[in-house]
Amino acid sequence: MAAVQARKTSAQERKHWDRKWIPYVLLAPAIITIVVVILSPLVTTIYYSFSNIDLIRDRTTFIGFDNYVELFSSRLFWKAVEINLKFAAIVVVVPTLMGLFFALLLVEEFVGRGIGRTLLILPWALPWIVIGLLWNWVVHSQFGALNGLLYSLGLIEKYIPFMADENWALFFTAMASAWRQTSFSAILLLAALQTIPEDLYDAAKVDGAGMRARFRFITIAWIRPTLTIVLLYNIVLGFLQFDAVWVMTQGGPGDATMLISVLLYRYSFINFDLGMGAAVSNVLGLITMGVGLIFVRLTYRSQSTYS
Amino acid sequence: MSATSGTIWQVAARRGATYAAFFCLLFWVGFPVYYMLITSFMDPPELGVKPPHWIPQEPTIENYREVIIGKTGQRGDYGTTTEFSRMMPALLNSTFVSVSVVLLNLLIGGMAAYAFSRFDFRFSRFVYLGVLMTRVLPALSLIVPLFIILRKLKLINTLWALIFTYTIFILPLTIWILREYFDTLARDIEEMALIDGATRWQAFRIVVAPLAVPGLIAVGVMSFMEAWSEFFFALTLTNSLTYPPLLMSFRNLHQVNWNALAAATTIGVLPPVIVAFVFQRYLVRGLSEGAVKG
Repeated sequence: MAAVQARKTSAQERKHWDRKWIPYVLLAPAIITIVVVILSPLVTTIYYSFSNIDLIRDRTTFIGFDNYVELFSSRLFWKAVEINLKFAAIVVVVPTLMGLFFALLLVEEFVGRGIGRTLLILPWALPWIVIGLLWNWVVHSQFGALNGLLYSLGLIEKYIPFMADENWALFFTAMASAWRQTSFSAILLLAALQTIPEDLYDAAKVDGAGMRARFRFITIAWIRPTLTIVLLYNIVLGFLQFDAVWVMTQGGPGDATMLISVLLYRYSFINFDLGMGAAVSNVLGLITMGVGLIFVRLTYRSQSTYS
Repeated sequence: MSATSGTIWQVAARRGATYAAFFCLLFWVGFPVYYMLITSFMDPPELGVKPPHWIPQEPTIENYREVIIGKTGQRGDYGTTTEFSRMMPALLNSTFVSVSVVLLNLLIGGMAAYAFSRFDFRFSRFVYLGVLMTRVLPALSLIVPLFIILRKLKLINTLWALIFTYTIFILPLTIWILREYFDTLARDIEEMALIDGATRWQAFRIVVAPLAVPGLIAVGVMSFMEAWSEFFFALTLTNSLTYPPLLMSFRNLHQVNWNALAAATTIGVLPPVIVAFVFQRYLVRGLSEGAVKG
């Protein structure tokens, strides 16, 4: 606090005239562009979702809640919600557990740890579209790596057309997302694990805490904030994933991998029903905003506790 | 945790478990990537033989050559197409977009972060929270009005559409990370410079900027990777001008040559992968600061 008080004296006082406008000038480009490109579309999306948009005649008519009524009464939407929930479940559970597993591994000392840590970055560094393609190669029915592996090991006689099966298709599109999120989760969790002071463990040992107790009351307790953040990120991704699914299946086979985001794309850019597209956008936005708000609250609180 | 405690058997078991887990990690991360790599070095007929060749029998760089000169299907009936001639221009476009995004983002975001960090002004807290809130808005859900705005501005199917949207969507994260950075930096030295009669700009240039370099690198690298990889906006706002949507259109070709596709994919991921490995330390730090604190 003293530093802050001191800051407001002499030099600052003397340059009082420049303090007034400098911050506004510095902020202007960021704020103006954010308002134009993020906030104004946000307001517009809300308006569009209550409108019927005729692109050909360039006419927008207000129709109240009709889009939402149509959306919520359509079987397609609820199917997308159901599919998306299953998808998100895998994208939350698998990366969080595997990420924790790999992070715990890479905090140990062993030959090869450096290679492991570097390799861990790789999935995270790849574009989603490439991750979709990679997993296409893994699950392909004619030359897929997984089929090849199972065949080489003698576990199957014939290659399995995974992506023609609705359940496998959903499972593997989710696994592609889980693959990348595992790296992301492990990187964050590893960074958190590295900050645990070693003497906490020593003290606990002296007090007679067993390995399980030490894991639960020191390791997990220490990384809990990071674990929460990782969970929230994975949940949000579970609802916003589009790229990797689009390149793998485009929502198929049938509608088996039609996430809400895929539905949004179909309404907006295949049917060109922008009003309905906007309605789906808002539903999706509300879901992720809900998660996001929890996230901001949690981080904001943890920030104020250590400052 | 020490591996030295316990009997020799316990130590051995622990070692064994560690290496088993390490193998899992190598397999999990490496298997899909390895398979794509070997595919890119195979002639088309070799892909899909049963059982598969885990090491190419006659490795070839023909796929890479075909992708780079932009002509595939020179070797028989594997889908002749000139679609791949769009590859090199797309990589150039991606480079231009990514580098522009990094520079714009550092400039605009850096200015804003510095303002938030060093000045108390009206509504500063409110504006800051507002900026952070935009981070939780899904970009996906803004696409419809964004499309219409850009259409009115006649920016659809231009690189500028991508540069603007990428820069702005990554700004909140940039501002958050850099503000944290500026907050912890040598405020006292900066104050002393000011007292000694330096202007704000001099104080920033001589004291703050050099110390902020690691933060700037972290943010720069993250925005580069984001801009290089972004697919959804590039798909909807342009006609495959950049690398990610072009890759998608290769995949949708009627007779896709998977070996050429593997080569194209490998070439296109080199920039972000190299950047990630080179700046690994900064990246991990930026990522965990941006994610955990932000």
